[in-house]
Amino acid sequence: MPLRVLLLSLTALVLSACATPPGKHERSYPQQPGSRPGTPTAPPRPGLPSEPVPGVPSPLPPAAPEMVPQEPIVVTPPPPSAPRSAEAVSGQAVTSLVRQARSQRAAGQPQQAQASLERALRIEPRNYFVWSAMAQAYLDQKNYDQAESVAQKSNSLARGNVYAELENWKTIRAARAARGDASGAQAAQDRVAALQAAVAGAAP
Amino acid sequence: MAPRKLKAFILSSLLLVLSVGLVAFSAYLLSLDKRVRDLFAGARWQLPAQVYAAPAELYPGLNLEKDTLRHELARLGYRESAELQGPGTYAVTKAALQVQTRAFDFWDGPQPSLQLGIKWSEDGNVGEVYDLEAGAPRDIVRLDPMLIGSIYPKQGEDRVLVKLSEVPELMTKGLLAVEDQGFRHHFGVSPKGILRASIANMRAGRVVQGGSTLTQQLVKNFFFGSEQTWQRKINEAFMSVLLEVHYSKDEILEAYLNEVHLGQDGNRAVHGFGLGAQFYFNKPLGELQPHEVALLVGLVKGPSFYNPRRNPKRALERRNLVLDVFREEGLITEPEHAAAIKLPLGLAGGRSGVERYPAFVELVKRQLEQQYRQEDLVSEGLRIFTTLEPRAQESLERRISAAMPQLEKARKMKEDTLEAAGVVTSVDGGEVLALVGGRDTRYAGFNRALDSRRSIGSLAKPFVYLTALMHPDRFNVYSILPDEPITLEQAGAKPWSPMNYDRQLHGPQPLVNALAQSYNLPTVYLGLQFGPKATRDTLVAAGYSGNAAPVPSMFLGAVEISPLEVAQMYGTLAAGGYQASLSSIRQVQTLDRKPLSQAQIKLKQTLPEGPVYLLNWTMQSVLTQGTARSAYSVLPGDRAYAGKTGTTDDYRDSWFAGFGADRVAVIWVGRDDNKPTGLSGANGALPIWSQVMKDLNARGLDPVPPPDVEEQLVDPASGLKADEGCPGARSVPYIQGRAPEQYAPCAHAAESAPMQWLRDIFE
Repeated sequence: MPLRVLLLSLTALVLSACATPPGKHERSYPQQPGSRPGTPTAPPRPGLPSEPVPGVPSPLPPAAPEMVPQEPIVVTPPPPSAPRSAEAVSGQAVTSLVRQARSQRAAGQPQQAQASLERALRIEPRNYFVWSAMAQAYLDQKNYDQAESVAQKSNSLARGNVYAELENWKTIRAARAARGDASGAQAAQDRVAALQAAVAGAAP
Repeated sequence: MAPRKLKAFILSSLLLVLSVGLVAFSAYLLSLDKRVRDLFAGARWQLPAQVYAAPAELYPGLNLEKDTLRHELARLGYRESAELQGPGTYAVTKAALQVQTRAFDFWDGPQPSLQLGIKWSEDGNVGEVYDLEAGAPRDIVRLDPMLIGSIYPKQGEDRVLVKLSEVPELMTKGLLAVEDQGFRHHFGVSPKGILRASIANMRAGRVVQGGSTLTQQLVKNFFFGSEQTWQRKINEAFMSVLLEVHYSKDEILEAYLNEVHLGQDGNRAVHGFGLGAQFYFNKPLGELQPHEVALLVGLVKGPSFYNPRRNPKRALERRNLVLDVFREEGLITEPEHAAAIKLPLGLAGGRSGVERYPAFVELVKRQLEQQYRQEDLVSEGLRIFTTLEPRAQESLERRISAAMPQLEKARKMKEDTLEAAGVVTSVDGGEVLALVGGRDTRYAGFNRALDSRRSIGSLAKPFVYLTALMHPDRFNVYSILPDEPITLEQAGAKPWSPMNYDRQLHGPQPLVNALAQSYNLPTVYLGLQFGPKATRDTLVAAGYSGNAAPVPSMFLGAVEISPLEVAQMYGTLAAGGYQASLSSIRQVQTLDRKPLSQAQIKLKQTLPEGPVYLLNWTMQSVLTQGTARSAYSVLPGDRAYAGKTGTTDDYRDSWFAGFGADRVAVIWVGRDDNKPTGLSGANGALPIWSQVMKDLNARGLDPVPPPDVEEQLVDPASGLKADEGCPGARSVPYIQGRAPEQYAPCAHAAESAPMQWLRDIFE
């Protein structure tokens, strides 16, 4: 072991002697093909029309990696401080509107619930619990594409909040099942299971 | 046959014929009567669709100063008084405001009139909303929304309905003097009138008066086209008499004032003096001067023959003739007549400037057609709830109107040469909050926000950079791009050799810097890595609906897009790649309060979140260090905004598009004739944008990266990994696993770095 360390440091010494001294690194910027100063003016790789371009609109939201889980999904249990419902992150007005929407939904008035949630979103446009509830209101109205898109948007805004994500994946599962997308629904179910496990792990 | 018998026979046959005729005639009259009543009542009372702005919400925590609320209430027509005096009144004390709201049927349910006390907390936000009758605080209440227009969505005509009491006396008396002097006395037709008209015409040697009564004209307008046959003439006469039987003179006159045909606006017929006043003079009927009244009255005789825009000379003669009649009838004095007759026609405006926010209402009309079923829109009395936020609209209008003369003066341009357009939208909901189609915001003319497609110049660059950032294996925000001359051979055209705006070369540039300074050459280089088609695909994913050919000049913005669509595209960026289709309509309701169903997908993810986050981070540098630095002389320095300046060849178009966490705003300044203005994006559009964003109190961007983005300390000089050894190190976002691993020369860790690979081998 000490021998290895000695050998290492020796080699390092020798090597660093031939290295360019610091301060002359201008010509060795990393990882841009063709970006070195002095390369010909003509484009090095003109065109490349066959290059796959992500982000091109597709009828469905872009295939998230979640849809083809190669390995079991593991979600870290949330910290005890993680907000669990809209009430924990919303102001007074939004809380009131979210409650109103809940009772409208329960009363079988998803359209009214949607209107209340839209009001709430105008006040707090990035409240992921409100977006999550909105996805459910779309699901109730059998607007499955919107339900899934809105749930995905809530996931994006949730920045890892397990409780919101769990609700969203349940919505996505239901939306996909209703559209007849069995494998997609199964993938969502795997997510739901992993998130439920994480939530259970967090339970005090 | 005896003569007596013959006489009796003739008499009885005559009686028979007469009674048969009488029965037939009665049946004929009855059928006419039904037609008259149905059509007249229907046409007269047909309800236009009511268009409402977004209602103001009041709740604790709302960022709204007392004076702003006061202003808001005044705009809604609330009356200030010492104490509440019923719905639509308010009272202001030192620390609080009391208001009695009007009851309103919202689309999601009614809200009764409420007596509210509003208090402010120390931070200047609303602290409490208190229900004075219930004696309890309220979480959230709405004010009744402002009515911003009345439209007939499915008719090729607009109308500004006027009540007889609102019409200036000169107008009604003058109209009767010229068109039907016996109106108050005749029974629908006027043999005397016909006689008098003939005499007057003979004396004048030409037709100065018409023989038909107003009632006849109205009937003709209602029921018949311009075709004149004897049968129609007879029907017309009988129906006029019937109309007089059923309705009072005032009712008939009012209907006439609203029905009379006064001109043609493209494929829209201009009916009624209310709309006519807007169409020809861009002001309400009540504000017309005698010479303007005379022109409108004169037009009744033949709106196309006397079309003042096409035949100004003929129209002027006609107007002066009408002014003569006014004088003869004692409606105007001799001096008034003398003054009026010297005035030019004084035409102003152009199209129907009916609404308070005509450019916005125009968008509403178009989106109604696109998003709703045709058969739903014909039902009368629709209520259209829009997304217009009066405060945002007011700011946008005011800032644009104020900037135009300032810019003209500063650039020594002729007055009224510059034009502008602007759009404000909400980030996550995609609601159009404000829209201005030109510097004259009350004039419903050419709507530049919707219809002016201009080169977007450097506004296209972010989409080139985004295309590159979507390939994290090849590009990150600190990738070094060459700033060197490029020449592209093009089939069948001159070789293309773009240059930087300053015609200088700046040496290799980090990607973030190249965008911040809006350098052209690094952008073209970057664009060519993936080709113009890839850039166009990114533009389309963001919301571009056009079909421009994918050519390299697209990298520098040689693509023409309307301001509204630019707002859509930048809105997709602002929302992290989630595209919310821009809409101006929240809800449409039928007369019996049923919502119309809407055929529109509102939200979908069209761009990947991680790369969009990197791009938005990069676009913040445009404002902090780049071409839009001056924005922070207006905006608060502790809030992060992202945006891009756009300047086209020879300074023909000046653009700025940008956003914070909750608002997107796009401003365009230029000339309708597409001549150079000398204005760059930074000195034309940007100041307006900054002021509007400040007025809106737009929130700064949240610095929370999405899950697939990590942040690392980087040495800006080299774009390499930094540690405490690097003085100017900054935290830079990368797609997970794509941050540079190599240490910058300044880093303490750099000394030992070369050993890393060796260590990897041994361990």
